[in-house]
Amino acid sequence: MLRVETRHRLGDLELDVELTVEPGECLALAGPSGAGKTSLLRVAAGLLRPEHGRVEADGETWLDTARGIDLPPERRRCGYVFQHYALFPHLSAWQNVAYPVRGLKPERRARAVGLLERFGLAERADARPHTLSGGERQRVAVARALAREPEVLLLDEPLSALDARTRAAAARELGGVLRESEAPALLVTHDFAEAAQLGDRVGIVDHGRIVQLGTASELAAAPRSAFVADFTGAVVLTGVARPGPHGVTRVELDGGGTVTSTDAAEGAVAVSVYPWEIAIEPADEEPHGSAENRLEAEVLSITVVGSRARLGLAGPQPLVAEVTLASAERLGLEAGVRVTATWKAAATRVVAA
Amino acid sequence: MRAAWWLLLLSCAVLVSDCGDDGGSSGNRTRLVVSAASSMTQALETCAARFGDAENADVKLSFAGSDELAAQIRQGARVDVYAAANTTLPDELYGDDLLEKPVEFATNELVLAVPQSSGVRSVDDVARAGTKVVIGSESVPIGAYTREVLAKLPPGEETAILANVRSNEPDVKGIVGKLAQGAADAGFVYVTDVSASGGELDSIELPQDLEPRVTYGAGVVMRAEQPDLAKKFIDGLTHGACANALRRAGFGPPP
Amino acid sequence: MTPAGLTRAAWFPTLLVLCLAVALTFLTLPVVAIFVDSSPGQLIDSLGDPGALDALWLSLRTTATSLGIILLVGTPAAYLLATRSFRGKALVVTLIELPLVLPPAAAGIALLAAVGPSGILGGAIEAAGIELSLATAGVVVALTFVASPFYVRQAMAAFTAVDRSLLDASRTLGMSEAIGFLRVMIPVALPGLAAGAALALGRALGEFGATLMFAGSFRGITQTVPLAIYDRLSTDFDSALALSAVLVAVSAAILLSVKLVRGEALGLAPR
Repeated sequence: MLRVETRHRLGDLELDVELTVEPGECLALAGPSGAGKTSLLRVAAGLLRPEHGRVEADGETWLDTARGIDLPPERRRCGYVFQHYALFPHLSAWQNVAYPVRGLKPERRARAVGLLERFGLAERADARPHTLSGGERQRVAVARALAREPEVLLLDEPLSALDARTRAAAARELGGVLRESEAPALLVTHDFAEAAQLGDRVGIVDHGRIVQLGTASELAAAPRSAFVADFTGAVVLTGVARPGPHGVTRVELDGGGTVTSTDAAEGAVAVSVYPWEIAIEPADEEPHGSAENRLEAEVLSITVVGSRARLGLAGPQPLVAEVTLASAERLGLEAGVRVTATWKAAATRVVAA
Repeated sequence: MRAAWWLLLLSCAVLVSDCGDDGGSSGNRTRLVVSAASSMTQALETCAARFGDAENADVKLSFAGSDELAAQIRQGARVDVYAAANTTLPDELYGDDLLEKPVEFATNELVLAVPQSSGVRSVDDVARAGTKVVIGSESVPIGAYTREVLAKLPPGEETAILANVRSNEPDVKGIVGKLAQGAADAGFVYVTDVSASGGELDSIELPQDLEPRVTYGAGVVMRAEQPDLAKKFIDGLTHGACANALRRAGFGPPP
Repeated sequence: MTPAGLTRAAWFPTLLVLCLAVALTFLTLPVVAIFVDSSPGQLIDSLGDPGALDALWLSLRTTATSLGIILLVGTPAAYLLATRSFRGKALVVTLIELPLVLPPAAAGIALLAAVGPSGILGGAIEAAGIELSLATAGVVVALTFVASPFYVRQAMAAFTAVDRSLLDASRTLGMSEAIGFLRVMIPVALPGLAAGAALALGRALGEFGATLMFAGSFRGITQTVPLAIYDRLSTDFDSALALSAVLVAVSAAILLSVKLVRGEALGLAPR
């Protein structure tokens, strides 16, 4: 089990975090750059000494500023995966992985090659890092972190340096590694989707604080603030709310339009809904179905992502909708077409702005 | 950015004008290049300037070991006057048609110089084991004279002294320097060097029978730019302001 | 492009080529002249002279010793300066670089004033039974003094250029900073360190003024190759040429081996 508590001032940022990661669990911290995520990892690893802090791993105290305990990084059994991998350029792949391993060369090499095999890199064991592809380097970095049989895994944006195509495969592989591993893992990323895929729990970090912690679906279903909603990929609209009939809330949107939500709220609010919950109808059609919320908008852009089409819409406020490619074609959607975006009141979240 | 360009141009102009200084006249004054043995440094520095003022010339003095100055002339250096600490080197140059017939213009005396704190009082002391001695290298006049002196000693003593030698300096300034810093216990230099050292060193006279004939010779360099002015300068070394300056520094009159 | 535009464009590249031609000629002519001015046979003969051999051997010994000291002491010092900041660091760096801009003669005076017989530490050194002036040890001191800034400066730059996360990685993998220094920092910084060592070596080999003033000139004890060249200038020009040729050859060899180390090491560097 890993427990980290820290308070530290970094320039303009005040880092103030308390978290616990269970054995075998992966806690993914997601937040914008500069939120202090990497600093938190460095505190856990011993690369950064905070003004106040406690780090405990498996019952062993690694850091306790109150009692003057501060184990140097080499005495903490962490496996740290750096954002740009930090592979030693003068050593081959197997030598990199074997770096923390003591013993005679044959045993070290056997152990390193064994780990590389798990990642499908056994034939590249003698290659130098600069001859490896980005994806291969990422895997060597993870293998190296595991070579030490660490008590804690720390991963700094492990996928962000990869191109989109490699990222998907790498995410699946890393997910597998994390599930297999019994060590608590703390992962930081700026991409909520990555956090959702790899983390058993996700924490949203903003300005040095964890503003919400839970499973990815909890965060998406019930964001506690506009920031969290926005970060988790929702469409966020601003407006003023008043209680409406039958217990629903009516929100007058800034710029025009009204939406209804099953959440209770009053005053200045942020309204959020997920793009895949927004349906598209041709502009002049009569409303049909139970979706209460309707907004007129013009299609600005269409981006194809696999079998989905992501639509950028210009209404009184910007909207993003995701529909199937088939639907987009059926509706003849292209830039300039006027449509109606509709979604259910029950799918509409309202939080105080 | 423009300021940088102007600065660059200005520095180039300064450099070029500095280069243009060599060879021939600078402005209205003619230029006389004199290569003279190191031992004459103090003596010639002031009198040469006065000579220059009187003749409306810029006298450029160059001091080094006489052998090195001769080598420079052999390599074609543009020199007008060559003044050495012996007559051998000027005669050699004359024999090779590089110098006009040299004249003898001064004499000097070899002495044993010691720093203030030294325990050395005589040439015999120099032969004692453990004494640190500094002399000139073989090819420089002071070194040749020294070896002449040592050769006149009983062979055992000569060997002992040579065994105590710790450095063969390229000119007298090096010897004086080493003695002045206390790096050596004794050295062989000219009496004029001891005077020039301003009290740092004491001199011990050599016995008359050991004293070599130290005669200074000078000549006008062939293909000199200012042969007439050069001749005048050399005359001045025997009967002029420079002659007086040499006397005052302790040099003897020509033989 | 108009004709006027063409002319305007052409003068600059021409100027560049001209400058290079001048620089090349100026730098290579003296070196070429050393080998051309005398026949190879004469050169080799003069090298056989025992005085010349003594000078070569002495230069080799003293330069190697000096370089050894510089590497041993200078590498950790440069590492400290590259990885830590502290109050007065800029001053410390300037002090270390000072001998770089000191003319050799001034360096000689400085050494005399510090560790010469009448210098500040002169008495203490003599009391310890160490002889520096007029001794081989003095040559090593002079060479180390003038050559070390060349190495330390380059080493500092080389260490600074190493990605700091590599050292972090080494520590998270269980190796102390000392081991990380040996197993990661030095190998990765090696091309820069080698270049610095080559500069220092070249400087030490060629040192003349400070050696002459501080240690004197005596065959086999303090007369290094540059001093031997000076000694032979007036009496045996061929010998001076031969010794110069050897220095040039050695310097070229050093330069070449540094390029090879850099080239090989750069093959390892990440793109």
